[in-house]
Amino acid sequence: MNAVLTLAQKDLRLLFRDKGDVFFTFIFPMLLAILFGFIFGGGGGTSAIDLALVNESSSSLAKGIAGDLTRDSSFAVTTFATREEATASVRAGKVVAAVILPSTMQDGLDGLFGGSGIPIEAVIDPSHRAEAGLIQGKLHELAFRQFPRMFTDGAQMSKLFAGARKTIAGADGLTPAQRLAATGFVAAGELFTTSIDRSSVKSDTPATAAAESDAESASSAGAWSPVAVTVAELPPRTGGPRSSFDLSFPQGLVWGLAGCIGAFAGSVVVERSRGTLARLRLAPITQAHLLAGKGLACFLSALLVEVLLISMAVVAFGSSIAQPFMLLVAFVLSAFAFSGLAMLVAGLCRTEAEANGAGRGGVLLLAMIGGGTIPLFFMPPFLRTMSYASPFRWVVQAVEGPFWRDTPLGEQILPLVVLAGIGVLGFGVGVRSIRSTLGR
Amino acid sequence: MLTLGDIRKRFGATTAVDGLSLQVSAGEVFGLLGPNGAGKSTSLAIATGLLAADSGSVDLLGLGSPTNASVRSHLGLAPQEITLYAELTARENLLFFARLYGVANARRRVEELLAIVELESRANDRIGTFSGGMKRRLNLAAALVHDPKVLLLDEPTAGVDPQSRNRILELVRTLARAGKTIVYTTHYMEEAAKICDRVGIVDHGRMLDVGTVAQLVTRHGGHSAVTVSRGDQDERVLTADPVAEVTRQFAVGGVTGVRVESPDLEAVFLALTGRSLRE
Ligand SMILES: Nc1ncnc2c1ncn2[C@@H]1O[C@H](COP(=O)(O)OP(=O)(O)O)[C@@H](O)[C@H]1O
Ligand SMILES: [Mg+2]
Repeated sequence: MNAVLTLAQKDLRLLFRDKGDVFFTFIFPMLLAILFGFIFGGGGGTSAIDLALVNESSSSLAKGIAGDLTRDSSFAVTTFATREEATASVRAGKVVAAVILPSTMQDGLDGLFGGSGIPIEAVIDPSHRAEAGLIQGKLHELAFRQFPRMFTDGAQMSKLFAGARKTIAGADGLTPAQRLAATGFVAAGELFTTSIDRSSVKSDTPATAAAESDAESASSAGAWSPVAVTVAELPPRTGGPRSSFDLSFPQGLVWGLAGCIGAFAGSVVVERSRGTLARLRLAPITQAHLLAGKGLACFLSALLVEVLLISMAVVAFGSSIAQPFMLLVAFVLSAFAFSGLAMLVAGLCRTEAEANGAGRGGVLLLAMIGGGTIPLFFMPPFLRTMSYASPFRWVVQAVEGPFWRDTPLGEQILPLVVLAGIGVLGFGVGVRSIRSTLGR
Repeated sequence: MLTLGDIRKRFGATTAVDGLSLQVSAGEVFGLLGPNGAGKSTSLAIATGLLAADSGSVDLLGLGSPTNASVRSHLGLAPQEITLYAELTARENLLFFARLYGVANARRRVEELLAIVELESRANDRIGTFSGGMKRRLNLAAALVHDPKVLLLDEPTAGVDPQSRNRILELVRTLARAGKTIVYTTHYMEEAAKICDRVGIVDHGRMLDVGTVAQLVTRHGGHSAVTVSRGDQDERVLTADPVAEVTRQFAVGGVTGVRVESPDLEAVFLALTGRSLRE
């Protein structure tokens, strides 16, 4: 057993030191999953993000934010009357997020230095977590853009500074020095804003500068921001693909498995042609050890690819796992099936070129008919029938069931059995033909 | 220690080993000298038990055939090719082989070996970046991880600069002094003459003769050339007995100088095969 672990560890180490293998096993499948996710998502990445907007506030501040949001080219905004309607639209996948300007959004600047900030709420579909950051950043920016308008309103300003002084005076835990500095800051701000010739402030420039410096000092203070954007996520749903990423990551996963085949079939062939395989046989280990070591390394890297890709879908693209245990079972059997296929390819190929060709090229064909490039339901019927011959199809089916389809257990048995069969067959034929090339 | 008895091996139409026998005694450095394609590597592969001979017998330490893993574990082979992992460091390579052999205290053993082959300073470098000589030394170190009694070194100086070659030869001498039994294949007769206690001359898969260098030269080297100078006059005489010839010349008198050229393994090989070792 120690020998097997030693062998497997060596192979994994070699895998991670080979840039080509790392690329085809880990990086490429991820890129593919993300790319296809965006392509099938229809958004196409560069076009505007669909937003639902609800304005519950009658304040001119809210009006300003709503207006800027509508004009912003990053967003395609649909206005709804109630937050329920807007949230429903998110849930239906028609928009990425709903932005709510709540009735608590007041014109006054009182809240600003009081600690609560300008309240903005957003409800987002978890599958669009990637866009959440963008939306959040944009809302901050839009809120800040409203400041110059407030700062040029004399009445608002006096109220603001008076409020600020009161807050400072009443604040607990300030040292006298801090209190003095804060009061000085307010006084300086007051002096600065009152010195602006208000009639000339039609162009935003100096006031914007003031707003920006405010924004900077706010962010450098770290804990406090004058804009409070609260983002809430809808609970994930089950039963259907929540996003195109639910479809694209299982596909990326089979590409990762294909990468494993290429890497391990290649490594067997390389070790055979360079003589290291023969040298290993000098050690007091059996052929079974040797093959088990290779198989284990391939199995583990296949498992790693699977876990990595589905984790990425969950963490970064809002997918959620319907049946974690069954997904693990699907991972294990897929990894087993593809380790078997790696053995088969290794056994049948004599040269490095052949192994690379079969591992990456031949696998491409199986991937294409098996739904590795386009989802099965996009395929014409004859191709869909052919896909039964491809191990890729069975991996996709085995993984999607417990991942997002939430299929009943009974329906998950068939693909799992097929994968187990592929593994047994691959190991059987592959090991036999590798043995025949190893000599005694 | 190691006995090969009438080994035969064919690869298709090629007869690689053709009835070769040899017997290596404990603690001796045995040289297999022969040109490329003579069947040296094939013989070693059969001696390890990994390549099956068509016929013949192999015995290691009186324990039987090394096809048996426990018998084989007394054997270390440094193959003619560098069979290490270029992407692993020197230390990782040795540690891997040590663990594969189940060496107790593998880490300490690896540090010892790195010191023996003088590669401590490069221990953490991937061996893909090593010079030919450094790879050779590490290839040899990997054969030593489990401290085997019998060492098979297949052309351990192939593709190595003269300085590294001397280091490797010195290393082999050190191992011999430490009591290892060593089979050393080469097509360089100088190496065989320098470090081997006995040499077997191989060609076309056959063992043509075995003996100490002196014995082989006496048997097959032919005549020595004795050049006798008398003033400006040089006389060159070929003789089987140079001592007698020199004595005779001195008896004649007037000798101002004598030079004796002894035959070497090159001459032995030429005499045995009708060809030069260097082709
Ligand atoms: N695996 C093999 N398949 C076919 N021919 C081989 C094989 N191994 C060695 N030979 C042939 O056997 C002969 C002896 O080879 P080898 O033992 O490598 O010689 P040496 O090591 O003395 O140079 C050569 O003619 C070589 O081409
Ligand atoms: Mg050879």
